Amino acid sequence: MLELTGVCKFFGKNEILKGVNLKVDSGDVVVILGPSGSGKTTLLRCINFLEIADKGTMVFGDKTIQLRRAKKSEVAFVRKKTSFVFQNYNLFNNKTALENVTEGLIYGRKIPAKEARDIGVKALEKVGMLDRSDFYPSQLSGGQQQRVGIARAIAGNPDVILFDEPTSALDPELIGEVLGIMKKLAAKEGTTMIVVTHEMSFAQSVATKVIFMDSGVILEEGEPREFFVHPRHERTKQFLRSILYETEYNI
Amino acid sequence: MFRYRLDVAWEYLFKLLPYLSVTLFYMGGALTIGIVFGAFMAMMKLGKNRPLKYFAIGYTAVMRSLPPIILIFLVYHGVPLAVRRMFQVNLSGMNTVYFVILALGLSSVATLSEIMKSAYLSVSGGQYEAAVSNGFTPFQAFRRIMFPQALRVSIPNLSSALIILMKEGSLGYTIGLIDIMGRADLLNSTSYGNDIYEIFFTLAAIYWLASILIDGGCHFIENRLSLERKIELNEIKKAGMIAAAEQGGIVRGS
Repeated sequence: MLELTGVCKFFGKNEILKGVNLKVDSGDVVVILGPSGSGKTTLLRCINFLEIADKGTMVFGDKTIQLRRAKKSEVAFVRKKTSFVFQNYNLFNNKTALENVTEGLIYGRKIPAKEARDIGVKALEKVGMLDRSDFYPSQLSGGQQQRVGIARAIAGNPDVILFDEPTSALDPELIGEVLGIMKKLAAKEGTTMIVVTHEMSFAQSVATKVIFMDSGVILEEGEPREFFVHPRHERTKQFLRSILYETEYNI
Repeated sequence: MFRYRLDVAWEYLFKLLPYLSVTLFYMGGALTIGIVFGAFMAMMKLGKNRPLKYFAIGYTAVMRSLPPIILIFLVYHGVPLAVRRMFQVNLSGMNTVYFVILALGLSSVATLSEIMKSAYLSVSGGQYEAAVSNGFTPFQAFRRIMFPQALRVSIPNLSSALIILMKEGSLGYTIGLIDIMGRADLLNSTSYGNDIYEIFFTLAAIYWLASILIDGGCHFIENRLSLERKIELNEIKKAGMIAAAEQGGIVRGS
């Protein structure tokens, strides 16, 4: 459904992405792992045209798009078919939870306000935030804000949802509620997702495909069981060791 | 012994007050120029076009360093000269207030562009990204998400800028502008300096009151736009709905 080939991205002289290929099928939950600075987030942002890649093509459905020279209509098409969940939630601070969900429908998708409201209510219900629909972001906890962020992402009924470290800014206690919703989306609704995360438990239990990135390239990809039990690459082993066993140090 | 004659000061108050309209006129004019062109200049500063960006930064640096009186002189003497050379049009009969508006407007563009730029930057860029990612056009993202928040942030600074504008305009009396300051100067000379304290304390009181009003007005608008107020209104609405629901329940139950 979504296929990226040869994605390159420079920031100044730094090459952040060095020709990344990625294929996502409908119903996939692709988890991207990797150390910070490996280009995971940049890759995700390039898909949504929040960054413009310097090279590479995207095949989305039956459309082929040159990432560097994407037309406005192509960007709009991709943004309509995808949605983005941000690390810092990025809710509209001057809008209520419900408005946060409906504004994009009304202005971005030209859905009549009344219909948008119904969709918004349903989306908030799915993430368990319906009782907070009149609250402004500043009145919500981080976990609640991110749940509204997810509601905003699912409301437009996208083909793919892109999660950019959705739990990294949260208190440890609040991570569970957000991961729980993401798991529900994957299991119950069969939502296609690309998730950049450091939550190994999520990757192990939900992912259909795990990708390991380092220094702007995909080093390894595979099914989660295979990936976690028999990582092939030395760098992957090292990364997994440092993340999975970090709690076992005793001082 | 020095004796302050309140009754005389009181009389002067009514001789000065009508000319406050001139002061308000140049403030409004300069503010309009400042907001319109300042918005463009703020866009240039925030935008990616290098030459435009450096032009805007340079313009701001020059204008902010200029004492307003120099600007007023340059505009008053320079503009008619330039217009005569270029278009053979004589501006000598023109009302001085327009020169003051132009001079203050030119410096307001710099000040207001800085205020707008910093207000825009105070709203997290992530919200803009979230908006375009949600299908907003860049203009819609600005209009519905960024602008309302930036406006609220900018109001205290706008208030100060407006008060500064009011005070700087008083320098217009040096080129013969009859606003409250010019009028006070005129009254002072016709009374041969005998009523100097009565006149200028009264004038000071007018400026003082005017700036209190500006400040208060801006506070009022700021509160009107504040998120706290929105939240409060929301609470009231919710409480009302709950009360109505409960009442309905009782009626049905009885």
